[in-house]
Amino acid sequence: MPFTAHDLRYQTEHSYPLLYAYLHRNAQRYLGALKYDAFEVDTVIGHVVEQLVRLGLLGGGSQTPLTALDRLTDAQFYTFLSRSVRNKAIDRLRKRHLQVNAVAELETNDDENADNDPLHSTVESLWGTTPFATPEELTLHLASQNHLRAVLRHCILALSAAPNQLQAILQELQEMGADTLLQSIQTELQLPLSHEPVMHLSQHKDHAHKKLRYCLQQQSSNLTVIVALRLTIYTKTATGSNNYTVDIQTLAQHDLTEDMVRKGLDELVIAGLLDWHGETIVHLTAVQLKRLGRFYKEE
Amino acid sequence: MNDYMSSAHSAYDDDAQVAKWLQQIVHIPQRDRIDSSSTIKSSSEHLNTLELLTQSDYHLPFYQQLPDFVMALLQNDSQVELQYAPLLYHLAGCRECHSAYLDLYDAMSTAIQPQGQRSLLGQGTRTLAATPHRMLAHLCQSLISQAEAILRQARHERANYDASARSLLQLAIQISAHISQSTVRRQALQDLVRVATLFDGHTAPDEASPDVYAYTPAVTGTGHMRRGRTTRRSETTIQRGQEDLPALQLQSHSLEGSIVQKGQTLELHLHDLAETLRGRVVLISILLGSLIEPIRWHGGNPRAIRSTNPVDAHGVLITPLGQTDLHIENNEERNLLEAIFLLLEVRALD
Repeated sequence: MPFTAHDLRYQTEHSYPLLYAYLHRNAQRYLGALKYDAFEVDTVIGHVVEQLVRLGLLGGGSQTPLTALDRLTDAQFYTFLSRSVRNKAIDRLRKRHLQVNAVAELETNDDENADNDPLHSTVESLWGTTPFATPEELTLHLASQNHLRAVLRHCILALSAAPNQLQAILQELQEMGADTLLQSIQTELQLPLSHEPVMHLSQHKDHAHKKLRYCLQQQSSNLTVIVALRLTIYTKTATGSNNYTVDIQTLAQHDLTEDMVRKGLDELVIAGLLDWHGETIVHLTAVQLKRLGRFYKEE
Repeated sequence: MNDYMSSAHSAYDDDAQVAKWLQQIVHIPQRDRIDSSSTIKSSSEHLNTLELLTQSDYHLPFYQQLPDFVMALLQNDSQVELQYAPLLYHLAGCRECHSAYLDLYDAMSTAIQPQGQRSLLGQGTRTLAATPHRMLAHLCQSLISQAEAILRQARHERANYDASARSLLQLAIQISAHISQSTVRRQALQDLVRVATLFDGHTAPDEASPDVYAYTPAVTGTGHMRRGRTTRRSETTIQRGQEDLPALQLQSHSLEGSIVQKGQTLELHLHDLAETLRGRVVLISILLGSLIEPIRWHGGNPRAIRSTNPVDAHGVLITPLGQTDLHIENNEERNLLEAIFLLLEVRALD
């Protein structure tokens, strides 16, 4: 009797034994020489079970939102489980090989079943062409993509409430040679880089790093940048004036709610980039629009 | 042309410098964690259970976005970076979540590729009772740990996710009832009381107070090692109280007690209570009593059950706790009741 992702979510007690049986069979299949090691089999199964619980699928019921995993077909879901088992099995095989390496080096490698060893099938590239395969690749992407970099500028701008922390960050950018970013921040804030020594610099730097990290991972920061960018795209010249207008519905497009747009607009008001008092039509002066464009759209 | 090349090169250098700096900003220091493999091994040898590989302080809100994020990448959604910018900044600094992302990306990309042959279903056990109990215990621990992560996140966001955490704890209790070995069952629920106190408005058990008597179910069927193999006493024998009625044995340090079933009524029997309690009515608190509700509690509130009579001159108290359709004589139902009574506190009613 098959089980589905839906069963794991809503009928956990009933479907867990079926899941266990499926994972067990696959774990033995991929663990090769370790297939009779109950500890290794348990560890592989345990990893996948924990992952399904963490993702809110196993035992999640209606309390956790559905994800892409719930929308896989049954066959796709089994493949997903099987592949997850395979990856963990490879991980365990690698760990065990490392542990016996010292002895293995003294022995000749006469493994007749090398072609069947899952380790050999993954020597070239386990992850293939996975985007953001390393954190380093990801940070380069974050630094080079305009929208993502705009979030960074937004968060640095938010540091202006703590001048010492902001100075610490500006000094760091200068030392790193990140000139374009530094210039755009200085232009926006009209703040020259201070060459005076800042007392407790490392402390200010630590605090600034923490604030930046927090800000960068906040959905509200991203929302503010999205709304700012949309203001630069969708505003139109108001009839008979030099001002620009756009309604909230236009800013929302198909992927934001009006409440989300309002939150973004509120943040821009707090940052001093906008005058808005909750109206459904947002008014901008030419100067405000230019400033938004300069800071969020391009450096 | 040379100017264009030079400009592009300069922009790349600038991006590279910003990226290098960003790595310092977003990096989340690795927690000091003991080697999970060795923990699992030693625990496995002694208790026949598998300990958790992930702790409950992982980054739940980011982790649970990963499947949708990966699917958006696989479908080449043009809005993916716009929508998931905070997650991208998190992944750049968190090795654990990044590793989970790689794992999911690989499994999901394989899953959605058209393939001729699909994995067949496993053949094997089909009931919880026939599933290895160490793996049931591991599932219980995972569910309890997840409930803890949710409650911590709720506290962080100042939100109320009690219903979500509660349903996970209920599921853990229900599954644990299928574990027949009491030591494995105890291991499965070892964090239950601690996590249950994280609920909004709940207070931690006052075990340190000398005026509070904290009773827990007495351990039966303790396993022991003999030449590397675990042997266990049979636990199918139902314990019986003084009147040959089915009972759950309790203990609080050197004190003993029991919960005796008379028909549908569960009655608390305590002995040798301190002089200070004698002649006084006591307040009984069952910490997990409101978590699942197969018992209609005396007075309605399991956190404050007032004894119907005072402790007698010999330190004996017999008082009803509530009514239930469960039967202590049924193994799984007894296990469920044992989980509910994981912590029972008694104190004088001032």
